[in-house]
Amino acid sequence: MLVARDLRKDYPMNGETVHALRGASLTVEPGEYVALVGPSGSGKSTLLQIVGGIDTPTAGTVEILGTRLETLSDRELTRLRLTRLGFVFQRFHLLPVLTARENVELPMAEAGVKGADRRARARRLLDYVGLGHREGHRATQLSGGEMQRVAIARALANRPAVLLADEPTGELDAATGQEILDLFRRLNTDGTTLLVVTHDERLAAQAGRTVHMLDGRIVSEAAAP
Amino acid sequence: MISALCLTLALVQATEPPHPSTGIAIERAVAEQLDLGVGDTVRLGAAPESLPHLAVVSAIYEPRPDPAEVSRRSLRVRLHLPDLAAVLGAPDRVDRFGVGLLPGVTPDSAAAVLNRSAFGFRAHPSATIASESSQTFKVVSRFHRAIAVITIVASAVFLLCIMLLKVEERRLDAAVMRFVGVRRRTIFGALVLEAALIAVLGSALGAGLAFLAGAATNAYYREFFDTELIFSLITPRIVLFSVCLSLLLGVAAGALAAWRLVRTRPMALWGRA
Amino acid sequence: MTGLGWGVKSLGRHPLRTALSLAGIAVASAMLLDMVMLSGGIEKSFSDLLLARGYQIRLTPKGTLPFDTEASIGGASHAVRTIRADSGVEAAGAVLGTSIYGRAHDSLVTLFGYGIQPEAQGIYQVTAGADLAPGDTLGVLLSETAAQLLGAAPGDTVTLVGRLDPQMADAAVGRRLAVRGEVRWIYDYRGQPSVGTVLPVMQRLGRDAAEDRASLLLVKVADGAAVEDVAARLRERFPHLEVSSVADLVVQAKRRLVYFTQLSYVLGGMSLIVAVLLVGTLLTITVNERLGEIATLRAIGVSRGTIVRQVFAEGTALTVLGAGFGIVLGLATAEYLDAILTSFPGLPASFSFFVPRADTLGLAALVLLVTGSLAGLYPAWLASRAPIAATLRAEAT
Repeated sequence: MLVARDLRKDYPMNGETVHALRGASLTVEPGEYVALVGPSGSGKSTLLQIVGGIDTPTAGTVEILGTRLETLSDRELTRLRLTRLGFVFQRFHLLPVLTARENVELPMAEAGVKGADRRARARRLLDYVGLGHREGHRATQLSGGEMQRVAIARALANRPAVLLADEPTGELDAATGQEILDLFRRLNTDGTTLLVVTHDERLAAQAGRTVHMLDGRIVSEAAAP
Repeated sequence: MISALCLTLALVQATEPPHPSTGIAIERAVAEQLDLGVGDTVRLGAAPESLPHLAVVSAIYEPRPDPAEVSRRSLRVRLHLPDLAAVLGAPDRVDRFGVGLLPGVTPDSAAAVLNRSAFGFRAHPSATIASESSQTFKVVSRFHRAIAVITIVASAVFLLCIMLLKVEERRLDAAVMRFVGVRRRTIFGALVLEAALIAVLGSALGAGLAFLAGAATNAYYREFFDTELIFSLITPRIVLFSVCLSLLLGVAAGALAAWRLVRTRPMALWGRA
Repeated sequence: MTGLGWGVKSLGRHPLRTALSLAGIAVASAMLLDMVMLSGGIEKSFSDLLLARGYQIRLTPKGTLPFDTEASIGGASHAVRTIRADSGVEAAGAVLGTSIYGRAHDSLVTLFGYGIQPEAQGIYQVTAGADLAPGDTLGVLLSETAAQLLGAAPGDTVTLVGRLDPQMADAAVGRRLAVRGEVRWIYDYRGQPSVGTVLPVMQRLGRDAAEDRASLLLVKVADGAAVEDVAARLRERFPHLEVSSVADLVVQAKRRLVYFTQLSYVLGGMSLIVAVLLVGTLLTITVNERLGEIATLRAIGVSRGTIVRQVFAEGTALTVLGAGFGIVLGLATAEYLDAILTSFPGLPASFSFFVPRADTLGLAALVLLVTGSLAGLYPAWLASRAPIAATLRAEAT
């Protein structure tokens, strides 16, 4: 489903070159739940962004569902992110002027889903993440955990093949973070493929496979017992 | 007593040899338009179809710049009164008399005396006539003042808006300062000072621009109307008013925005609330 | 795609900021509207004034404009007969303008006298009583102010005198005339005391009877005839007269009032610049504040086109709302400014500088909308080009 081969990423910072990735390779199979862990600056987020098509590698290739990302134009890459990938970020990034339902509708509207259909699906997704009763509330009226659940519903809007999450519990307290972990587990049980960057040991523990990174390289992988 | 008669004249350059008896002084604009010089002979008459009188150009003069005439572009010549009366076929007729008063006699009292005994004419003090004839400029002046008020309102709103945006841009800086323990009052003072500096610098730049625009306006309209009149006059009082207004508005806007900023919790400024 | 209107809705995030921007755009739009009205208003108003009675051509002494000087045309009746003989002319009439006096109780009041040919007049409208009949040498028409000064109404009798002799302290000529009607003289300034009689009576009250003089001749062109063709024939026929069509006179008036036209362009331009700066600045800062959010949208697959459209829509909404308030404000200020300018001495009372017209309002709105929207282009471009990964990295720190 997702194959990254020998990824390298260099970028300049304050006049020096940062080697964010130094030959990282990763494969994620359909239905897998993979946690990417490692210390800050180890290249986890960079790897996630490159396999998610929002950044480009200095060298190496990424293949998603048989499509080589480097062969795609910006427009095609945007379309792929919209329809085949789902993203969840640490800081949620919901549009504060829209309601929870409208935030979930946004990717569907972009994909051209008709109004009634997307409203119905947005409601179903909000019910799925346990926020059906909050659909009319603006993002600013939701708690951190609720915002992250809306963000997850938004990521699932166009039925992505893979859900990519970058520190999804990073901004949440332990109890709220646990709710997100439970949601992720349920998502995976229901068939969603997950690749999650995290510092949260609980999240890593519940993943099917944990990939450890250090200094831009994958140093070890461990399947759940 | 001075008398004067002004009526429209038809005037063309004569082709026959002159037999000069009448002298005429013409405006520079007339000389340029009709390609006339001192010594040339012109035909004069009260109507275009009848130009029986010959006159010799004895002088070319530059008229005193007159705002009332600037857009009319009338062409003017001067003749001795009897000559003009002869050309017009109206001997011993004048439009008005000028009356010089003895010391101690007020224009109003003299006018009142003349009006009591007058039949067929009316006496006006010069000040009244000057006031009447400056009516046009009073109207223009009122119009300019009204436009200025609108412009000031627009500028004020613009300035308020920019200042608000400028201060709000400093949210993260303000958050960091609060994190490291800088007092609200210090942040507020720094932001207001910054706003005041921007207002002063902006108004100095604006004054410079105004001088350039004024010079361009004067150059253009002097050329356009062929006059020495001053159309745009930027006085120190105007500059002072503009700078003070900018400073006042700038500081007010800066203070408003800074007050809003320092009242916000640091985490909210940092975007984590 | 609908985009759910998040661009426009974003205007509500900072109400004070948005309100100030709207106020700024409203004032700038009001000024723009006023200046557009001023630039075209002079022409429209003057043209309407000249065509009020349908007379399209004026003949005046060479080098003069109607009632601009005391110069007059000799042999007026003959000239009118000649003009009426032209196949392209429907009607022609002579008008004499001169100073005369009226007796009010024991004193004399100065009046402006019109000598007219009632069968072909283009300078007044009857507001009360009756019009003068052609050849009515015993009747007179009064303006409202003249009626007040003379204390007369239709049906009363007034005494008009002319050619005062200061040495004899008497008038050389006087006429008792019956007031037929009260009229509005189209070219009178506000409060002008004017009276009108048939041409020969006014010529006698003045001093123009012997030469049959008139100040101007008015010509109404027949249906189907071209105004410029008739004007050209009259120019050929009367080389010593100034033959001006309404278009010619409008050009002359615009030349005299060129200052206001140019001022309107300059201030209109400045208003546009202010509006553009406001929209541009606000959107640029707003977009910069929201780069993280925009990068996220791009990350989840929202296209650059959608981002551009939304930011553009935000600018357009700001401009439309501001312009909406601006139109109301502009119409109010135009009325105020018009009241100032129409107090120019000697200006016809029905003349306006600021004339609201659908096409003027439309043009101002269109220009503002286009420029205001264009002002959003740079911020929109900026938003769509933000590097996704770098912005998200920066946001995470």
